[in-house]
Amino acid sequence: MFHPIHFSIPNAPKIPSFLFKIYLTNGISVMYEGADFLAHVVNTLTEERKTMALFRKGITLKTKTMAFTGDPIVPPLPSRVMLPLKHAIGEPAHPVVKKGDTVTVGQVIATAPSRTSLPLHATIAGTIGEDSEYLDCTGTPIPSLTIDSDGGDTWDTPDNEEKALSSHTPAEIIERIHAAGLITTHLASVPLAGDLMPMDQPKTHLIDGHQITQKIDTLLITAFDKEPSLGVNRYYAGNTTEDLADGITALKMITGAPAVRFVVDTHYGPYPQLKELVAADEEETTTITSVNGRRFPIGMAIPVIKAALGREVPLPFGHPRDVGVALYDISTVIAVGTALRTHLPQVESLITVGGGALSQTGIVKVRIGTPIREVFEALGGFHTDPAKIILGGPMTGMAHYDLDVPVTKDTEGLFALTHDEIQLAGDYRQCINCGLCVKVCPVNLLPGVLSLYCVNDKFDMAEAEGLFNCIECGCCDYVCPSRRPLVHLFRHAKRQVMEA
Amino acid sequence: MHNTNNLIVSMSPHLRGTLSIEGMMRTFLIGLIPPAVMAIYLFGLKSLLIMVLSMATAVIVETVIERLTKRTPTYTDGHALLIGLILALILPPSVAWWMPVVGAGIAIILGKLMFGGLGTYPFNPPLVAWVVLKLSWPERMSVFIAPHTTDQVLTPLMALKEDPSLFYSYEIGDLFLGNTAGPLGAVCAVAVLIGAAFLLYRGVIRWHIPIAFCAGVALFAAILHSINPDIYPPVVFHLLSGGVLLGAFFIAPEPVTSPVTVKGMLLFGFLAGILTMIIRMWGAYPDGTFYAILIMNAATPLFNYLKPKEYGSVKRA
Repeated sequence: MFHPIHFSIPNAPKIPSFLFKIYLTNGISVMYEGADFLAHVVNTLTEERKTMALFRKGITLKTKTMAFTGDPIVPPLPSRVMLPLKHAIGEPAHPVVKKGDTVTVGQVIATAPSRTSLPLHATIAGTIGEDSEYLDCTGTPIPSLTIDSDGGDTWDTPDNEEKALSSHTPAEIIERIHAAGLITTHLASVPLAGDLMPMDQPKTHLIDGHQITQKIDTLLITAFDKEPSLGVNRYYAGNTTEDLADGITALKMITGAPAVRFVVDTHYGPYPQLKELVAADEEETTTITSVNGRRFPIGMAIPVIKAALGREVPLPFGHPRDVGVALYDISTVIAVGTALRTHLPQVESLITVGGGALSQTGIVKVRIGTPIREVFEALGGFHTDPAKIILGGPMTGMAHYDLDVPVTKDTEGLFALTHDEIQLAGDYRQCINCGLCVKVCPVNLLPGVLSLYCVNDKFDMAEAEGLFNCIECGCCDYVCPSRRPLVHLFRHAKRQVMEA
Repeated sequence: MHNTNNLIVSMSPHLRGTLSIEGMMRTFLIGLIPPAVMAIYLFGLKSLLIMVLSMATAVIVETVIERLTKRTPTYTDGHALLIGLILALILPPSVAWWMPVVGAGIAIILGKLMFGGLGTYPFNPPLVAWVVLKLSWPERMSVFIAPHTTDQVLTPLMALKEDPSLFYSYEIGDLFLGNTAGPLGAVCAVAVLIGAAFLLYRGVIRWHIPIAFCAGVALFAAILHSINPDIYPPVVFHLLSGGVLLGAFFIAPEPVTSPVTVKGMLLFGFLAGILTMIIRMWGAYPDGTFYAILIMNAATPLFNYLKPKEYGSVKRA
């Protein structure tokens, strides 16, 4: 079966002579001191019960764990990178360089017309090559710039005027975040600056004729990933830097959130660095909630808010800020802190690389724009023919046929799955009304019924049944005994409704 | 470098669970092994003949009809076998050899394929066949024999119809172990419960319908029993006699004809239990379980209106 990654936390307490080895359900072992043993068991039980009370839906993926320790793997610098001018739904950036120009790492090569698009920075040093285009996972051609490496790694010098964080205004911080080209991927992949901008304005709802003003009251930081198979945020949670505290301060300033809450996975930990942050907070506004991160899709935006705070983001098209939450990954928060400290743009990111077709899996620190082929090669290549290459996690990511597409800022994982790991929908059967999809749906839909509307082109009825509430987590698809391609049908129906 | 020219592109999710229709049917069939074995033990090899004839007919009829109508053959998924086996287990042990054959044919044609096959039929196919047999040959369907003999006896529920106070002559232990007259698979409560535990463990049925069903029966029986313990039997008698357990754990939760929402399942089971008791107490038939389930099957689309709460309703601050 499929292998997710298990990290050992480098800063875990030293193992004493007498120890208990607790085997958790999935074969992960955590070592604890004698006295901690009981406390841990009790904590785990009560925490899980609390989480389960708020979030009962979803599935537990059948996964086998694999140990991964140490630092991220750093592949050699790519000889050529391809940098997309367009990010997600934002407008394309305007190139400010032309073919043959020499660029250094971090130099701006395209400027963003607005806060909803991203400026583009060179991620390797070299010369600008031909304008290029590649097809992304949806088949959309993405115009992009290419840089041919000169073999060196010269960095652009940032305008590093030292200024204490507290003297920044929120607008300045947003400007800095925008200039660094940071993104957030929680609900959709959007520029972080654009996501943060409306936060200083309280959101107004009209409920039963009453105007309700919703201010951001919690900065929710997830220390685990959207899918159990991904591991970057878990890695960051165990290896935080001082930038985390800076990032939190900055985001608190922008959003006005008085409280910070970390959401961690019960199965990993104990995250001493996060606990130190909590202990250091004298006003006791920083807290840690642990949830069962093996329960998919608890890491996705809508369910994690439900599991950690018991709040339901209004669907469809709701945003965490509608319920007073600013939701960011721990990696995003650290990136904010780093950008404020160094004034350097984001040129590399950590991605999880896994899948049965690879001889080695792990966390890879990769320059943005590197062709995914080179990432796989850096890990020793395939030991068997891959059946599917997936950009993102295996439950929500997109498959691609081309190994020459680049790693982009929103690539969280790269998976090379074998024929044994995937199961093609093939000839699906009639819905047998078993209700398993209803049992697992995290947003309380009736996916089976919806799918019947979708296959019969009754898109308006599907919409009335809550088609757009679907967060496309894929749980219904995973459990369906009739092997119906439910997510595929819903995406198709959404597109039909949007284009109508 | 390995071959990367034949990469598959498809929509997420790229992983899939292991549950399939075939697996579900296999689990149901395995769960029915304890009642089937007990039926053979209690009523002799003739019950094996009934089961084999019923299952074989179901598969053959399905294959033939699907060939004739040029549909995709589905006999390999085990559903026809399951229909045949359930039908055999709800027949009396003394039926003529041709009755399971006729019944299985009716179940497949009238119950299943007429409506479009697995997933679309509104009524539980074995129950449809059971009703047709019951209405067509009422005498043959009402003859029950005592275990290990060929003596004609009344089932506990039939005796109850004759004289309400007769229930005192039945030991709860006999009902539990199947030492009474009744349908082939339903007489031995303990075998049914073992099979049901397997189904629940494997997750092919969920607890809502069976428990709600038993709760409906138990509540109704408890009220009656507390009114007059002389003529109304205790709760345990009602739960263990007739087809209640087999119906609650194997027939009512059958996926196609039962609701999909939690609220719907609970109400479906509970009302079916109440209806069973109403038919038992005041109806013309001694055991109302199968009729009750059929009637509730007709109402299944209505129960599906009991949807889970819509996600994301903004709470008043």
